[in-house]
Amino acid sequence: MLRAEVNEFLTQTGPDTKMGNLFRQYWIPALLAEELPEKDCPPVRVKLLSERLIAFRDSEDRLGLIDEFCAHRGVSLWFGRNEESGLRCAYHGWKYDVTGQCVEVPSEPSNSTFCQNVKLRSYPLVQLGDVLWTYMGDPEKTPPLPDFEWLHVPANQTFTSKRFQESNWLQALEGGIDSSHVSFLHSSGLHNDPLFKGAKGNEYNLKDLKPFFEVADADGGLFIAARRNAEEGHYYWRVTPWIMPSFTMVPPRGDHPVHGHFWVPVDDENCWVFTYDYHPVRPLTETELQAMKDGHGVHSENIPGTYIPVRNKSNDYLMDREAQKRHETFSGVAGIALQDASLQESMGPIVDRTKERLTTTDIGIVKARAKLRQAALDLAENGTIPPGVNPAHHRVRSASVVLPKDQAFNEALKVELSVQPGVRQASV
Amino acid sequence: MYGQSLLSNSQRATARSESRYRIDYPLVPTRGARVIALDKGAEEIVRKAASQQWQSAHFFALDTSPSCDSYIGSSVEVTLRSFDGETIPLNQELDSVDVVVMVATQDTGAAAANTIAAACTVRGIMTAGIIASTNADSTVAALRPHARILIISADKNDLEYLLTAIRA
Ligand code: FES
Ligand SMILES: [Fe+2]
Repeated sequence: MLRAEVNEFLTQTGPDTKMGNLFRQYWIPALLAEELPEKDCPPVRVKLLSERLIAFRDSEDRLGLIDEFCAHRGVSLWFGRNEESGLRCAYHGWKYDVTGQCVEVPSEPSNSTFCQNVKLRSYPLVQLGDVLWTYMGDPEKTPPLPDFEWLHVPANQTFTSKRFQESNWLQALEGGIDSSHVSFLHSSGLHNDPLFKGAKGNEYNLKDLKPFFEVADADGGLFIAARRNAEEGHYYWRVTPWIMPSFTMVPPRGDHPVHGHFWVPVDDENCWVFTYDYHPVRPLTETELQAMKDGHGVHSENIPGTYIPVRNKSNDYLMDREAQKRHETFSGVAGIALQDASLQESMGPIVDRTKERLTTTDIGIVKARAKLRQAALDLAENGTIPPGVNPAHHRVRSASVVLPKDQAFNEALKVELSVQPGVRQASV
Repeated sequence: MYGQSLLSNSQRATARSESRYRIDYPLVPTRGARVIALDKGAEEIVRKAASQQWQSAHFFALDTSPSCDSYIGSSVEVTLRSFDGETIPLNQELDSVDVVVMVATQDTGAAAANTIAAACTVRGIMTAGIIASTNADSTVAALRPHARILIISADKNDLEYLLTAIRA
């Protein structure tokens, strides 16, 4: 349970909110690189942290993320012409560069300096991996770029997708750190999903539906470990790192690529779910890549040309009660990503946490909320840089291992839970 | 809204305006929560939490009066002491309890932890451990087989966060 004011505190990320200011300490995913594929390509509307923006790649390959609306009379620059090193408003021809600086006001005399005083709000946009990242905070305090492992492996070892989710970011993130739902909601995926099936660990997962949980601090957030019975004298551990504010990494299964999410607030009622997959030491196979593109694993099958899932609330997620009866799916919704999204959206855009009935096993969620709130307060009161800003905090891995019963996961897995270049993930 | 227009169910049902029709009525609190400090350092944390308003939570320390053996070995008799100084045998306190939260900052309470956790397991009581230091390895080991959740390197406020979350 949360008090109403704490629920509001955590779910509001617009300008001048405490959580909004917290998010503005970090580099966050803004778009996929494929959305701005080439010089002078069409500009893309972007909304992040309740701010309307426009992203474009100019004639010199520079990336820009600027206020969506022309300073003149507020027309959307989505209608603009992206050419000759700038974005020109379709209405009266005012032109802006990637920093939002107005570089031409055609109605002014040709030797006028009027435009020098016109600058749209802008944020840096940087490509790392398959993702374009932005930092929306104080430019003076721009932190070093993110350093997650999946951003640094060769391009043929990774794939990233995204989907739009019609819920507040926090209820989406909470699904990512709530590992006890896997044995229910996603049980069928452990049998049939091409990117999940076949791992030895799946058997432990399906056999023991009452996991035990241990939570330990990570420098940038938390390690949330779920423990299930394995062979005599052993436990099967699945360890999920959560790095603040909203990066999670699912524990791996067998030699399947490792995946996870970055949950990014669009506004208070919608979020982007960036979903990455990578293998630390080998290229993805053709089959794996195709499966990811087709929306298997934790990816989603999207309506072509959009990032809206094919299964969405307007079509009841193509609910199939017969498949549910045949136990092909647990909830009747196909695909792991939309199994999650359908339930999280069903809570309403911002779930009322004053009404929830948590149990102790929701401890990961309880801790994550507490840490987010504390970090936002520390930032507001003392200007403390929050955990997860330092790129060293990004060098974590998830793990799924079998350990003798007397071993503590956080002690036994110190090495495995950090990035070791060239070393395979710890996975059964 | 239902039947013929099935295809648009979720779209309409999840609209913001629909949220206000969620029925509003008080949730029954957790049946009973017992919080036990396993050592002196833990007592401070538990005493602080105990000073707040709770619906059903009761707070205890271990009774370490001279009549009580030192907590060494795998299993010991455990007597609890409330913060008003009343002593109560463990077994009596575990009737109609949903959850027991043990708090530790060192290893002196390891044997007691083992006894309490085992008693909870037999009774089907959810057991949680909050370890608020880095030198309580034996206590962690004693709790691990039984405690459904363990918070390792816990924050001093974790106890209150947890009790609030579960409506204790
Ligand atoms: S069982 Fe968890 S939300 Fe219903
Ligand atoms: Fe899920």
